[in-house]
Amino acid sequence: MMSYTFSLDWFFVTLIFFTGAYCMAVSRNIVKQLIGLEIISKSALIAVISSGALTNNINLAQAVIIVLILVEAVIVATGLALLVKNYRLNGSIDLEKLMSLKG
Amino acid sequence: MIYHSLLYIVIAVSAIMAVMAKKLLNAAIMLAVMSIAVSLLLFNFNAPWAGVFELSVCAGLITVLFISAVSLIKKEDDLLKEGRIKYAILPFLAAVTAILSGIYLMPYFEYLTNYAREAAQNPGVGEIIWTYRSVDLLGQLTLLACAVFVIKAIFAKRRIEE
Repeated sequence: MMSYTFSLDWFFVTLIFFTGAYCMAVSRNIVKQLIGLEIISKSALIAVISSGALTNNINLAQAVIIVLILVEAVIVATGLALLVKNYRLNGSIDLEKLMSLKG
Repeated sequence: MIYHSLLYIVIAVSAIMAVMAKKLLNAAIMLAVMSIAVSLLLFNFNAPWAGVFELSVCAGLITVLFISAVSLIKKEDDLLKEGRIKYAILPFLAAVTAILSGIYLMPYFEYLTNYAREAAQNPGVGEIIWTYRSVDLLGQLTLLACAVFVIKAIFAKRRIEE
């Protein structure tokens, strides 16, 4: 019964992970890239909490998840700050127009 | 069990809708819905601390950040061309990987349940955070300081060059 539950968890973790990977692979918009990153980190979070539930060690999983959520928030804040600065400088949020460092 | 699977379906559907949304604002709102469903899932896993963090930070703060960033950029940039056909194989790959891993990784998951008895005395979350993993707190503080300095460096006032 327990392993059946975890196989359901695993299926959805993989599905959500590949949804985010698809978003990051396809899109040229920087906001969409960050949204894909968020989706991928959500799938990592679900994997951590479900493995914690499987090994009866949910409090350690909660401690790890709190760190993970903070890292996520920091990454998104920094990425959006870079996006707004880049939009002010270049007037575009297209990834393929980030050419100013090209040699 | 039904509630649990229903939450997973809500998470997956809102993730797909966030990816497929044409407008960036709709994508941000679907991301917020996904965060709310994830926090309900955490509550369902008996993890209330992580659920509260998820609900306040991911569903609140990150959504506000996304919406404010989207409102700062113009609407013409909403529709960039996306090469969706090129990567159309990726969802099939995802489904195949999920099903195959669900079949072949089952013995490993049963092996993982052997570790369940080692965690018989479960310390509380506060004890774990402040005693066992107190170095993590240092890492979190360093990360926050890094983010503050990066944002300060990005939006620094430049001197007017003459």
